[in-house]
Amino acid sequence: MSDPATLQINGTTIDATFAEAFPMKATRLVITAHTPAWAMNAAISLTGFATSVIGCGCEAGVERTLAARETPDGRPGVAVLLFAVSSKELARQIERRVGQCVLTCPTTAVYGGIDAGTSRAPLSDRASLGSGLRFFGDGWQISKMLGNTRYWRVPVMDGEFVCEETALTVKAVGGGNLILLAHDIDAALAASEAAVAAMRRLPNVITPFPGGVVRSGSKVGSKYPGASASTNDAFCPTLTGLSARSELSAEVGCVLEIVIDGLTDADVGAAMTAGIAAAAGLGRAAGLLRISAGNYGGKLGPYHFHLHSLAAGLTAGFDGSHA
Amino acid sequence: MSLRITLRVKTPPGFRVDASALLPVPLATMTTAEIERIVLPAGNDRCIVGDVFEVSRSDTPAASDAPHAGATMVIENAAPWLDRIGARMTDGRLVVHGSTGDYSGFQMAGGVLRIDGDTGHFTACEMRSGRLTVSGHSGDFAAGALAGDMEGMTGGTLTIHGNAGARLADRMRRGLVLVGGNAGDFAASRLVAGTIGIAGQVGAHYAYGMRRGTLLLAHPPRHLPATFTEGGRGFDVFWGLLVRSLANEIAPFSQWRTASLPTRYAGDLAVDGRGEILVVS
Repeated sequence: MSDPATLQINGTTIDATFAEAFPMKATRLVITAHTPAWAMNAAISLTGFATSVIGCGCEAGVERTLAARETPDGRPGVAVLLFAVSSKELARQIERRVGQCVLTCPTTAVYGGIDAGTSRAPLSDRASLGSGLRFFGDGWQISKMLGNTRYWRVPVMDGEFVCEETALTVKAVGGGNLILLAHDIDAALAASEAAVAAMRRLPNVITPFPGGVVRSGSKVGSKYPGASASTNDAFCPTLTGLSARSELSAEVGCVLEIVIDGLTDADVGAAMTAGIAAAAGLGRAAGLLRISAGNYGGKLGPYHFHLHSLAAGLTAGFDGSHA
Repeated sequence: MSLRITLRVKTPPGFRVDASALLPVPLATMTTAEIERIVLPAGNDRCIVGDVFEVSRSDTPAASDAPHAGATMVIENAAPWLDRIGARMTDGRLVVHGSTGDYSGFQMAGGVLRIDGDTGHFTACEMRSGRLTVSGHSGDFAAGALAGDMEGMTGGTLTIHGNAGARLADRMRRGLVLVGGNAGDFAASRLVAGTIGIAGQVGAHYAYGMRRGTLLLAHPPRHLPATFTEGGRGFDVFWGLLVRSLANEIAPFSQWRTASLPTRYAGDLAVDGRGEILVVS
């Protein structure tokens, strides 16, 4: 499954491997509020505790902030993306999180952010948004059709909570990843932060872990029954002499991973390319030794993001070389 | 091919005619001779299209793969003896130069119907979707329900540039009705839901029995219905959505801005009481 040649960019080795990603269901929600700060408060709350579907039910993150002219009600807003393993679970997470984190947040309103006419991701179905939350209105709620969109107006103590009745969902891609192997913690953090910053400039993707970075990369399975995932011992620097699976050389002192979810495989690929460019831009001189990726042998996920293919266009801007 | 069919009235029949068969998409599949042979019901009488209209069609190249979906039909020299113009229309574009009779756009389910003149009673009655524009005045029961039916208009947009008669949007459930002039008595009566905008004055008993929905008034009414109450504050977000949705409609509705919040009244408390009158001034 590996490419025979090795690739170096700015002294950083790009492993001849690939990230393996999976189909997910996703949606974009647009949260607006009286001020950008309150919209962000709701967005941060809604996307909290949403790092991994393994334990959180969904993976979510802030996609970008929106100017007033970009939102349905002409107020400042924030676009968030939510990913789950099934339509049913996604719908459950949307209703629960919007109900507890947006309905409760002063001045906010929430709308579906997937446009059926322009979405490049295949449409999946419609998840309940206001159609369930409206019952909080205790009979005082009002429905309103404007054009082809139904909104709900739920009386709350600062006025009305306005939300779209449903949100379109799409068939998306989750689990794109980069593994950054560095000389030490400082170098690994710097490379990760640069990569995440580059990815966050792109639309349609999120990096759901804290700060976009995860240190507890996992492998499938465990020695303990009942645990579906466990630490990725192949990349743990304390296990270089213990684990037979270790992939670390003696000079690697810290490894961090970035997980990317996107609305399409092209979005995930573009984000990974941007991350490789930003991290490799720091290069070996800054302590970034290798960029690798996690996969399961290609047997589980239908989306394979080969690092050499993604980085093929990057070598021109750096001191890149094939060996 | 982009198709345009023109029917010019040459000999008025002398009685009222049911013109509901004159729809752009079905006629787009016919030759001129076939169109001329269409029989139009007229009560106990009937007439042949070719006896009443001068029929012509032009086919011009277009990129569309669905040649008839965008078909346009024009009726010239129309007069109020033409009833049911655009009735049950589902697609295409129908332009009428002149006035029409009753039931224009009756149960219309799609497409665009433009009438450059006045319309009779029951315009857009039980309309379901599409867009109907009347450049002149309209009679009674526009966007309403047939006698005995439970629901009036349930979707689409009706724009009347002039005045509307009595019982505007009676039992309307969904959709948008905009009147550039005045409305007669019982406007928005028994309204189930939907949005109605009236730029001019409203007659007596407006919003009578209004259960839900929104009545937009561009001028303060002479009196408020006794069964309406002060409607509170804090509906800024909804107002922002509504104003934006009216941006491409007729004035004065298109000129409203989010910054100036209207006065809101809630009712009709004699029924469900979740309707609202928004007075923009």
